[in-house]
Amino acid sequence: MAPAIRGNIRSQRKLHKNAAHPKTTIAPSPNDPSTVEQRAIELEDFAELVESRTPVHRLVRWVAGIRASVHTKLLAGFMVVALLFIIMAGVSLQIIVSTTRQAQQLDQAHEQVSWAQQGEEALARQMHYTNLALLSQSEAAIAKVLRENNRFNDMLSKLEATGMAQQGLLEQIRSSQDEAMSVVADIANAIRDGKLGPITGELLRRQERLDDQISDQVGRLVEAQTSRMTQLRDSVAAANKRSLLLTGAFAVAAVVLALFCGFVISWSFILPVHDAQSFLDQVAAGKFGGRISVPNRDELGVLADRMNHMSQELQRFDREQRSAAAELGRLNEQLAQTSKAKSEFLANMSHELRTPMNAILGFTEMLIDGLYGDVPDTLKEPLADIQVNGRHLLRLINDVLDLSKIEAGRMELALGDYSVREVVDIVHLALRSLAAEKGLEFTTSVPDELPVAHGDNRRLTQCLMNLAGNSIKFTKAGRVEIGVELAGEELIYSVSDTGIGIPKEEFENVFAEFRQVDATVTREFGGTGLGLSITKKFVEMHGGRIWIESEHGKGSRFSFAVPLRAKAEAT
Amino acid sequence: MSEKTILYVEDNEYNRKIVRQLFSATSYRLIEALDGEDGVAMAQKELPDLILMDVQLPKMSGLEATRVLKADARTGNIPIIVITSFALSGDREKAADAGATDYLAKPYSPRELLTLVRQYLPES
Repeated sequence: MAPAIRGNIRSQRKLHKNAAHPKTTIAPSPNDPSTVEQRAIELEDFAELVESRTPVHRLVRWVAGIRASVHTKLLAGFMVVALLFIIMAGVSLQIIVSTTRQAQQLDQAHEQVSWAQQGEEALARQMHYTNLALLSQSEAAIAKVLRENNRFNDMLSKLEATGMAQQGLLEQIRSSQDEAMSVVADIANAIRDGKLGPITGELLRRQERLDDQISDQVGRLVEAQTSRMTQLRDSVAAANKRSLLLTGAFAVAAVVLALFCGFVISWSFILPVHDAQSFLDQVAAGKFGGRISVPNRDELGVLADRMNHMSQELQRFDREQRSAAAELGRLNEQLAQTSKAKSEFLANMSHELRTPMNAILGFTEMLIDGLYGDVPDTLKEPLADIQVNGRHLLRLINDVLDLSKIEAGRMELALGDYSVREVVDIVHLALRSLAAEKGLEFTTSVPDELPVAHGDNRRLTQCLMNLAGNSIKFTKAGRVEIGVELAGEELIYSVSDTGIGIPKEEFENVFAEFRQVDATVTREFGGTGLGLSITKKFVEMHGGRIWIESEHGKGSRFSFAVPLRAKAEAT
Repeated sequence: MSEKTILYVEDNEYNRKIVRQLFSATSYRLIEALDGEDGVAMAQKELPDLILMDVQLPKMSGLEATRVLKADARTGNIPIIVITSFALSGDREKAADAGATDYLAKPYSPRELLTLVRQYLPES
């Protein structure tokens, strides 16, 4: 399974390499495992070369195309390898059994040789005691001869029992031995009868002849057994060598086959993973709609199908998004053009409306001023009415245009240093006669030591004018007061009156465009219904706030607070 | 030649009529032009003592005409009062940038206009 593991390492390495740190270079430290990794990469490249340039490729694709799960394939590969090792173990076991058997045979042969040699020794002693009996004429020697003869016979019987020794030779030895024993019997009889003397010579000759004969035969037996043992030993050694070679060859074959099996299976997984990797790289680079084709009919094949689906969906989303973006861009351009047209329209309307107003108010003023001759008394009032209504219309036009500009975001404040007292005085001066006409007490309350303020004095004057104008309009009796106080870094302008007041639930509404407490109020008191709305916007552009305190029927107090020194970014 | 000449550049007939009638009671001589190009040509030809210039004019805007006249050595010293629509913020700055001597917002009161003219060009 080694290639599979390498493959995994490779995938991780590639992923790591593709991660977004292309410019980060890290100096290798002495303990850096990069050299190990380097070697792994070389092996990997070699594996890739083998896979792509040899017929193994077709095998890999065939394995990939097998309709089975990754799990099954891995299990099958593992089983093949396990089977190979089981077979190898069986062969080894067989070889061990046969070696053991051969060792046993060798042991037996060795034993037989040993028995033959023992027999040879017993025979030598038997001969020796026979000669001794002849020479010493002692019966004790005869007993020793018989003892050795028994030993010799035991040996012969053992050899005969193995059934492996040369049976013909054994027969010869046994008959020679029987003959030798008859000589011994003769010797024993002669010794007992005391007649040994005359036949000693003859017995000795027979004895010597038989001795030579049996020694020769036993020597041949020993020789035969020894040579058989040598042969057996040689054959066992040869067999051992063969087994060793066979085992080695089988082991090598099993390992190679296991590696090959692992290689093929792992590459059948690595290939689609590589393909998927480059495919996803493309997707990540924004190339949607491509297709990945893998031969796998397992989970990886399913994965590839999903990726194809994902890619197509992404392409669809991309197209939709692009067309939506184009549409948005078009709309945006259209909007910008509309906005520009609106601004131009505003500028034009401003001029177009003011030009006739200029003429109306101009001619009226010149009439009233007697530029065209004395004005009859009956015409003085209608002329004044024309002038009042003309100015009202002009205010309306100004308010609507101001509000349009604020809404369009084209209103800019002209910030500068100004005197708070001057602002209050301008408003007081402008509205004094109106208050006086209604019989209202109209006062101002400004602290003596006020620092120079910073803001758009024309707009702030407009704000205060709107508030004071409203108060005077809605107050039938009593008084109206303009007050200013400094609270920290904030200037608070306020207008208090003893007018009709405003119900609490209407507090929010009074600042909305074209809203007055009720419609009849508009008819009764006049006004554009825009003043408070514009005032609120100007105050907010200064970075300030506006609020109402009121009790219905008892009066109201409108206040707005602006920074003593307004900042340009607040506008 | 004690008579002082004022050039009024304005395309609206009624506004020209107001100024004409307003100045008929004074000693000023009024000459009129109907568009920016005409105004520049007339100013260069007549060399008036003061110019009243409306901002929004056909062919060439009042601001552009002011710029041209101020750049011209012969007309550069003539005071120019620009009459704007007042509504657009920055009109005052634009008028000053173009070289206007002063600025009057529409709708103006004839009284105010006369006062302003007398300030720059006293009647002899």
